This record gives sequence, structure tokens and C-alpha cells, in this order.
Amino acid sequence: MTIGNFGNLLMLICLLASFTQLLYLLPKKIDIDYRVLSRAPFFASLLAFTLLIYIFVSSDFNYQLVVNNSHSEKPLIYKIAGAWGNHEGSLLLWILVLTIFNFIFSYSKIKHVDFKKNVMAFQSLMIFGFTLFLLFTSNPFLETEITVNEGLGLNPVLQDLLLAIHPPILYVGYVGYSLVLSFAVGGMISNKVDREWAEWLHPWVLIAWIFLTLGIGLGSFWAYYELGWGGYWFWDPVENASLMPWLAGTALFHCVIILKKKNILQSWTILLSILTFSLSLIGTFLVRSGILNSVHTFASDPARGLFILIFLAIILIISFTLYAFRGPALDNKNEMNLVSKESGILANNWLLLSTLFVVFLGTLYPLGTDLFLQKSISVGPKYYILSLLPITILLLLAMIVGPSAKWQNDKILNIILSINKLFILSLAIIFGFSIYFAELQLTQITLLTLCLTLIFISIKNGLRVNQDYTIIKSSLGQSLAHIGFGLLILSVVGNATFAQEKIFQAKVNDTLILDDHVFKFNSVEQTEGKNFNAITATFYLMDNKTILDTFEPEIRVYSNPPTVTSETSIIRKFLADIYVVMNIPENSDFVNVRIHIKPLISFIWLSVILMVVGGISAIVFRVKLTR
Amino acid sequence: MKKFNIKYFIPVTIVILFLIFFSQVLNRDVSKLSSQLIEKPIPTFNMPTLFNDDQSFNTSDVAEKNVALVNIWASWCIPCRSEHEILMILSKIEGLNLYGINYKDNKDNALKFIEQLGNPYNKIGVDKNGRSSMVWGVYGVPETFIIHKGTVIYKHIGPIHMNELEDVILPILGKIL
Repeated sequence: MTIGNFGNLLMLICLLASFTQLLYLLPKKIDIDYRVLSRAPFFASLLAFTLLIYIFVSSDFNYQLVVNNSHSEKPLIYKIAGAWGNHEGSLLLWILVLTIFNFIFSYSKIKHVDFKKNVMAFQSLMIFGFTLFLLFTSNPFLETEITVNEGLGLNPVLQDLLLAIHPPILYVGYVGYSLVLSFAVGGMISNKVDREWAEWLHPWVLIAWIFLTLGIGLGSFWAYYELGWGGYWFWDPVENASLMPWLAGTALFHCVIILKKKNILQSWTILLSILTFSLSLIGTFLVRSGILNSVHTFASDPARGLFILIFLAIILIISFTLYAFRGPALDNKNEMNLVSKESGILANNWLLLSTLFVVFLGTLYPLGTDLFLQKSISVGPKYYILSLLPITILLLLAMIVGPSAKWQNDKILNIILSINKLFILSLAIIFGFSIYFAELQLTQITLLTLCLTLIFISIKNGLRVNQDYTIIKSSLGQSLAHIGFGLLILSVVGNATFAQEKIFQAKVNDTLILDDHVFKFNSVEQTEGKNFNAITATFYLMDNKTILDTFEPEIRVYSNPPTVTSETSIIRKFLADIYVVMNIPENSDFVNVRIHIKPLISFIWLSVILMVVGGISAIVFRVKLTR
Repeated sequence: MKKFNIKYFIPVTIVILFLIFFSQVLNRDVSKLSSQLIEKPIPTFNMPTLFNDDQSFNTSDVAEKNVALVNIWASWCIPCRSEHEILMILSKIEGLNLYGINYKDNKDNALKFIEQLGNPYNKIGVDKNGRSSMVWGVYGVPETFIIHKGTVIYKHIGPIHMNELEDVILPILGKIL
């Protein structure tokens, strides 16, 4: 038996086992051992995925997928990553993640057996659907019909360590929300949507959220360093596809906290649980069917698009119809006060969903005009920035006020009193900054002040202590994540405001001044490279008489064919990234030097780390229900 | 406890409407999609050039020319190698301006490619991660566009073979040159 046949057999086992398990959803209950059944798909897809990696590592060009996506001279790590850097392989990874979540969930200590079986049965429905999709439209183990000795996959841009590891991480988050959907469906069928349900769900929502946050962060990090000229987010459809479940998932875990604590908002939490994974599925549909033009476009095939759409329709219609019938009975009559922590969280929910709406509209709008008006348009960053600006301001406000309010009932005055000092402090800092360093506009002052207030308030909330002066661990996660968010917006705004660029015409020994950076043009030298002659200039970044950094931009002259290229010199520092590039105009005795300064980039990555660490400590230190 | 509330049917209704929308989008004529740019003005773009980070290749470079040909290529693309000699032939035609867009490529490899096979292009733009080519509706490499007075008149997907050069490309160029 060839490896490919074995792989197909494994996927067939996965298909059959998940089919047997999904039968539990039928009204007439068949009693089966759900644990055993959840293991089969897991081990089968794990082994199949390992086989796939094996054929990539061994450069087995009997397989179409390896021929198209690998090359025998690729470094080992990129051969491995090649296994999931394509449509078929990444789909197998999807299935693997679905089964991993089902497998681990089968070990959870939930006593409500019917609920647990329903969750696992619905999860199996998804495993079944995606395995069917894999076997019929996207089989990774297809053999080549002719003999091939070498692969085609030498695309160097895809040979990047970050690019190789970010999809698996992103997938754990993106696909991890499937279990959340299964929780919602299982909860509705078993009539078990209460505080206990929220407690069971809590860690799973956070795990998916942590991985998704990290995955998005890494994707952005890659885009920044690979592109080289300072962009870290492009509102590309695929980026949006991962941002949408992130927004819904963020709203969701806040709701889960309220439900766990106050036993309210049952149907709303269920709705968000369904919505979150629906957005993951819709994103997958948009990306994999090839209907959106995107940098990430996988090979498009109408049959694949149709299959995902049908599957999407089945999952979405089942879940939302169930919600339509079960929803009204879920909610408790517990009232909610307007001034309370829970209404702060709810306000934050609506703002996150508004953001989601803006992103959703921006992503789908070009499809709409294309279909209805036969016109193609593209939605640019300007749309997102303008629409999201007011929402971000309100969101920051809600994040400042919400955590400072008490559960159930609070007085507005108390809240104002608890935050006013830090607010005034932040305002003073930003105003001072604006007066002494760089003049800011009203919007920037507003945003930066709110970010700073949020950071201060969150630090204060994080440092709250128990009576015995130990830190209250349960609010640590929230504080860290909120500091992270404040820092994120602060760095994004700061980066947009203070990015600088200037072109100089310079001669040796000139001093170039950009803002408070002083560069000295030290020398120009001619050197010889392997197949080119280079003109290398040396610029020093000076602080009085000391040299802080040395930049060596280069101009290369290749002889055959006669061509000239210029190499940028980049130095990445904690506060800002600095780029220096030069160019020699013909018949002139000076060089053109362009200097860019991109501030606060490292803080963007730091903010993502803070959010991830916040998420982790929110899981570790989560409050257990008292029974 | 309430048993039935029409309000709770709103989400499923919205979802169904979206599913219908998606199915319509999916049914779109794909061939129309590929020729979206035909008879339309060239898209707006701006990218650095291969030989000089500081120089740009942009819309006006192409729009100002009477007849221009934009070819999307990459050093890792094997069909591009075989197509290159056709481009070298095309570069000798007077009045035809060739431009290249180097797609998702590594700079050193791209330069080596040009060094080995010759440079038929007046200018080569660099689109390192494929974003700038999105406006051209590029699905893969190679792809070639013929532009007359700033309007796209022909799009060729895949490498141009010798017989296609004679039967398709040259007749089109003959009419406008």
C-alpha cells in the first residue's frame, strides 16, 4: 500500500467515525461510547497529517501536492511548512484542529453526559463535513500521473519562518471556536444554558482567543518585516477574515463572564457563540472559494466554493434555527441596572459588534457592487480608519468606565471619582507632550488621552489587593489585556502621527537633520561584490559627538546586464525603526538620501504579547463557581 | 416561559439572505471576472522598481504611452523562463513599451534571472508580497496585459507561446501600432 492510499484510508476512518458519532444528534438515541469515537478521528487525522509532512520532507514527487508546493533543495523547515502552506494541506490541518478540540473535550470532567454527547456529536458533524470536503474536492494525497523529478515550489517569499508558523497558530484559534459553536448547540439541545454552562465554556473561549490573537499578531509581524516599508495592517480580506471572529470572540468571552457571574444574557451569549464560528466559516468560504481577490488566494475552484457554501448553509441554518426556537426560553428574568459593570460590558459588546459590522461591510462591499452594479471597487484603509475612529473612542471610554464599576449596581458619581485623577493625569501628560514636543490635533489628543487613562486605570485595577495584601489574581488577566489594548491603540495612533520621511540632497560631511535625529554623512566608498561594484555610503546617527548607530545604504552596479540597484539600510530600535536609502542622480555632485522614521512599532508587538499573557492568566486564575 | 418569539427569527433570516447572496456571487461568470479590466482604464498602482528602491513604477508610466505591455513575472516561475525569449522579441518592436512586475520574488534571484536572460523591460516594478498586483486582478504568473492609450485592451493568462505571439499578440499590436 502506498503512503497516499494509507492517508486516504485514514481519512476514510475519520469520516466514518465522525459520522457514527454525529448520529447522537438524531432524536432516537443510540448509546455509543463517545470517547472511543472521538479518539478515532483524532488519531486518524494526526497520522494522516504526519504522513503528509513525511512526503514533503522526503520530497516524494509522486504526489501532486508535493510537486506543486515543494522542491528538493528547500531547507528542511520549509519542506515541513510546505505541508500546510497550500489549500489541501491546510484543510487537513483544519480537520486535525477540529478533532484535537473534540478529543481534549472528551476528557473534560463535565457530569452532564447528554450535554457532553451533544457537543461532541455536533463537533463530529463539522469533522464529517470537512473530511468529506477534503476527500472529494481537495485530496492532499493525489498521485501524479506522469513521472516528475523536481518540484515547483521555490517561491522565496513563502520561505519565511514566521510565515511558516503563523497559520497553525491562527488555525487553533480560528477553528477552536468550532467547539464554542458546539457548546451553544449542545446547550440548546440539552436545555443547559446557565452559569455552569458558562463556566465550562470559559476556558475554551479563552484558549481559542489567545491563539487567534497570537496568530493575527504574528501575521501582522510578518507583513511588517517582509514588506519592509512600514505597513503592519492592510485591511486585506484575509486579514479581515481573521479579525472578524476575533471581534465576535472578544465580545463573547466578556458575555460568558457576565453569564457566569450574574446568570443573565443567556440567549445573547448563545447568539455570539454561534456568530463567532459562523464568521470563521464565512471567512474560510470567502478565502477558499477565490471569490475575493487577495494576496492569500489559494488556487480557486468553483466546486470547492460550492461545497463550502452548502456545508456553511447546513451548519448555519441548523444553529440559527435552533436559536430561533430555543432562544425565547433561555433568558432569565433577572433585571440589569444601567449603571453597573455588566452594562459596561454590554456597551463594550455593542461597540465590538459595530466594529465587526464595519469590517464585514468593507470586506463584502466590493462583492456587492460587483454583483449588483457590475462595477469593481476597492475599499481602502481610509474607509476603515474614518468609520472606526468614533467607535474606538467610545470603546476606550467603555473600557475605562466598565471595569471601575461594581457588579449589579453602582452610582455614576462613584465611578467618576474613581477615575478622574488618572484621567486628569493622562490629559496633563498628553497636553504637556503636545506643547513641548509635537503639536497634536484634537482627535489625537482625545485618543491618546483615553489610551493612557485606560493603561493607568488597568494598572491600578491590576494592583488591587486582598485583605492580606496579596494581588487579586482573578482580575490580573483583564488588566494585562486591557493595558495591551490601550498600548495597541496608543502605538497605532502614535505611529500614524509621528511617522516621518524626508529627502535630502547631501554631500560628504553634511549633517542631515530630521526632527530630533541628527545624521552625519561620513563617507562614500567603492567596494567590489561577487558580481557587482558597490558604492557604499556611511551615515552616523549622532548624539552630540558620540555615534549612536551606523547606516550603510548601498548602490550596486551590476555589469551584465548593466543595471543599478539601491539597498536600504534599516536599524530597528525600541522606540522607532529608521530607514536610510540613497540614490545618485546623473551628472551631479550630491546624492539623494531618503530617511524614514517609523515610531512605536515594537510597542505594537508588545501590546499583542500583553493581550496574550492577559488571556493566559485569565484562564489560569479564573474564578470557580461556588456551589 | 415564552415558547415562540418572532424576534428570535431575525438572525436566521439574515443568515439565509447572506447565503443567497453568497450563492449568487459564486455563480458569477468567472470568465467575466478575468476580463474585468478589459476596455477599462488601467488601475492605479505604485511600486518601487527592481533596480532602485528609490524609484517608482506607477500608473503614469504606463498610461502616458501609446502602446504598452505589462508582464507579471517571477524568477521562481518556470513558465516565465520559456516566455522570456518571446518578451525579448517583443522588446525589439518599435513603439511598444514593455514593463515588468516582479511578483512575490526574492530580489537577488530576480536580478540573476534578468542577468541570465536579458532585460526586455523599460522598467520593472517590485511587488514583493503580491499586494500591488491585486488591482490588476493577478491570479498567478505569468500574466500579460496590452495597454493602448491607458486602456487595457487584452489580457493573456499564462505564458505566451510562439504560436500565440503570431496568431494573437502580433495582430492586436499591428492594429494599434
